[in-house]
Amino acid sequence: MHGRVKVKSTAQQEEEKRKEREKKLKVYLAARDACFSKRKEGIWDEGALQVTQQLLSSNPDFGTLWNYRRETLMHLETVRDEDEVQKIYEAELSFLESCLKVNPKSYGSWHHRGWVSNRLPRPDWARELGLCDRCLSLDDRNFHCWDYRRVVVKMSGVPVDQELAFTDRLIGSNFSNYSSWHYRSTLLPLLHPESPEEPAPPPRRASSSPPPSPQSRSHRVCEEQLLKEYELVQNAFFTDPNDQSAWFYYRWLLGRAEREEIISCMFVSREEERVSVAFSRAVNSAGLLLVLDGQPQRVEWRSVHPRFKHSPVWICDLAPGTISDVTNEHNLTVHWMEKHTHRDCALYTGRTESWCRDSATDQELFRSDLSVEKTSVLQSELQSCNQLRELEPLNKWCLLTIILLMRALDPLGYEKETLAHFQTLEVSRAKTRPLDAEQEVGSLTSSFSFFLFSPSRQEVDSMRSAYYGDLCSKFMIENTILKMEYAEVRVFSISDKSLTTLCHLDQLLLVTHINLSSNQLHRLPPQFAMLQCLEVLEANNNSIENLEGVYHLPKLEEVLLKNNKISTLADLEPLASCPKLKRLDLRGNPVTQVANVEAELTALLPSVVDLLL
Amino acid sequence: MAEEESQFEEFEQIDFLGDRHVRFFQRTLQVLPERYASLETTRLTIIFFALSGLDVLDALDVIDRNTMIEWIYSLQVLPTEDQANLSRCGFRGSSHIGIPYSTKGPGVLHPYDSGHVAMTYTGLCSLLILGDDLSRVNKQACLAGLRALQLEDGSFYAVPEGSENDIRFIYCAASICYILDDWSGMDIQKAIEYIRGSLSYDSGFGQGAGRESHGGWTYCAIASLCLMGRLEEALSQRELDRIRRWCIMRQQSGFHGRPNKPVDTCYSFWVGATLELLDVFQYTNFDKNRRFILSTQDRLVGGFAKWPDSHPDPLHAYLGLKVHPALNITQRAFQHVQQLQQTWRGSTGSCSRHLCTFAISK
Repeated sequence: MHGRVKVKSTAQQEEEKRKEREKKLKVYLAARDACFSKRKEGIWDEGALQVTQQLLSSNPDFGTLWNYRRETLMHLETVRDEDEVQKIYEAELSFLESCLKVNPKSYGSWHHRGWVSNRLPRPDWARELGLCDRCLSLDDRNFHCWDYRRVVVKMSGVPVDQELAFTDRLIGSNFSNYSSWHYRSTLLPLLHPESPEEPAPPPRRASSSPPPSPQSRSHRVCEEQLLKEYELVQNAFFTDPNDQSAWFYYRWLLGRAEREEIISCMFVSREEERVSVAFSRAVNSAGLLLVLDGQPQRVEWRSVHPRFKHSPVWICDLAPGTISDVTNEHNLTVHWMEKHTHRDCALYTGRTESWCRDSATDQELFRSDLSVEKTSVLQSELQSCNQLRELEPLNKWCLLTIILLMRALDPLGYEKETLAHFQTLEVSRAKTRPLDAEQEVGSLTSSFSFFLFSPSRQEVDSMRSAYYGDLCSKFMIENTILKMEYAEVRVFSISDKSLTTLCHLDQLLLVTHINLSSNQLHRLPPQFAMLQCLEVLEANNNSIENLEGVYHLPKLEEVLLKNNKISTLADLEPLASCPKLKRLDLRGNPVTQVANVEAELTALLPSVVDLLL
Repeated sequence: MAEEESQFEEFEQIDFLGDRHVRFFQRTLQVLPERYASLETTRLTIIFFALSGLDVLDALDVIDRNTMIEWIYSLQVLPTEDQANLSRCGFRGSSHIGIPYSTKGPGVLHPYDSGHVAMTYTGLCSLLILGDDLSRVNKQACLAGLRALQLEDGSFYAVPEGSENDIRFIYCAASICYILDDWSGMDIQKAIEYIRGSLSYDSGFGQGAGRESHGGWTYCAIASLCLMGRLEEALSQRELDRIRRWCIMRQQSGFHGRPNKPVDTCYSFWVGATLELLDVFQYTNFDKNRRFILSTQDRLVGGFAKWPDSHPDPLHAYLGLKVHPALNITQRAFQHVQQLQQTWRGSTGSCSRHLCTFAISK
């Protein structure tokens, strides 16, 4: 059905074709009926093989017939001697070759060949590999053939280094061979594992956490081999920088194992008598235990928003009076049973709140996505990519990889260059707001080379500009988190950065003041409710129309939303769940034109005394 | 001369020829060209493409629903009197085996008659599309037939006699369980392990462990996890972000299924729907995608083809239209199944977040 090209033909040719088809149809029907009556009568002989052969040659996807054939063959195994069986199966392999010539992508044919190879008394694996080579030379992306080759390799015990050499040859003759790079990615970790003796994986229990991924530790490659691979893949992308294969493979080589799973932050508030906990990944609440002064507590854990059964932040309320007395000191511990880890937090006398966390810097949170390589290796990779960029300034893969490497080496130090590269990737982003003088100079110098090559601003990958916009937003948020930590404050300020989306909100549990003004945000999503300590929310001059995430924020007093797109009273309902809200600025929003808006809002938000419309 | 004229016509307008597509699907339901003969064994899937296509085009009235419903029920492999064939129940692809036509039980025992997981899936969807209430589906038999198909490693065979096994059939199984509102048809945990094992180094999904990433298998993986309601449990945020990145890079104008392959209409669905399920469809360039799809439109006979200047076929004709991303049916048909489930449960249906929040208007 796939991919038949239209061919015009004359009336006479049409008529000839029609006659031939009719003849074929008669033959087909006769054969099919003969087949089924034979099978019904339980006849499993060479005649059966002949009859099914006729049909399968023209329709290799008739699954039932392959099954009948397999039954016949299995029966013949019991009534013929080994040499005869060998001959029968070899004939079968020849037959399959002719089927595969007609349709090299038939599931039925490949599956049957695998079955036959498994049962052949004296298999000829070299022949099978030869078949695969021929098939791949015609279409090196035929995954049926690749899959079959893997099966043959496994069954015949071809050593991994031989297969690796095979991929060397294929890649050497054609760097664009994505399937070969893929195969290499599965072979390399087997041949050159990261640690020679991998500890046995812990016994699997029924748990809520995902089983280890293919990119986890046990599949990583040892460093010495990695360096050789870098060289190989650099040859590939220097030869053809527009070919995705090498870049994706390179990205994998630079990739990183999942980080340790921990309780990243714990916050205790006397006033709300509440404990808020942030985890390194989304979890469900089963298996969380709170211990207060040595006593396990019966508490109900809830996520920040009813939408989330799975969340990186969980909250529980203590019984009234438990920790409210400021003259008492308390020790709290949260246990994450499944991971055998816990976090302690001491609430001191005279203090109304307390917290305990690992900093993002310590966790190497945002040197994300790259393995723990020596800095010098990363530097040299960055140098190579920059060399390529001089030759190919508009190549998106190159730019993305450079961004990735810069973030791994020094996210804050390379911030300006990163922004400039994003602008090259998606010029439409730059059009939405004027660059300020400082940034303009920065971007001009780093983008100078492409001004040389193209008189007008050219779009490198404008098709994915929305994606790059969000990706850049993510990096800017990461940098702001780092800056916040260095300054040791709980104020998160990221205004005028063309933010299109919010992320890492689970890292902002302790933030008291947030400034998102003058960006391109459309909503404050439910995850925003993770900002449990928030007192002041500034988000003027955005395009916000949805406030779902401003939900049950116990300390929130001020919300500034001037010049946004809030249009109905319903949009403001979440705010009613914030008991301390005093000041609300809605100037410049369509909702201010709604009839009777002031009275409605006073009724909806009784705690607000300072309402600006 | 004629060629020049038709090229000029194409230049003038790339518009959507709804009526032609309706007629294309109508013809699909009546007579197919000879080259489709090899698909006889999977006829029900072709019917599904046509029916769902007509549904998207709001043109189901051109067919006789009742006759169609009866024909689909005739494909149900029902339990025999003694229930000996329970593990072989489900729906078959067509009447090619030669079982006498019947829409009611008990089933007839035939050594080579059994359900096929993709036929059961498309059969149930087709019935939903036609507005049937599934009351004549023997749910317990279907689920028993489904259980018999799952292997130790979590993947599924297509038929109980055995076949290749991979992630495609996990998707079919998950859809069946979702529609019948009964997950006893499969071991979810094992299926999740198989899916995770199929995640490749570049964060696309292969057909199974160690196999090459592909847009179709990535769809099967993500859609299955969404149907099971386990997307965020089974995959970490980082993994999901990488998967999103792999999928986004599939757009060239339309979409291709694998790097360095040409774009193909059907991947606008497989990859597009995956991106929608992952909440990032807005990252795609809608305009370029639409233009590519319309360029594969056959202006004469209707339907869409895999590439421009190729023959249209029902699969590409259907996947060129827009449907619910997880179950591959229209929103109307999806709402119908939700309503049915409510009556079965006598309470509000509880579908996963990803499925509830889709309000696809046609």
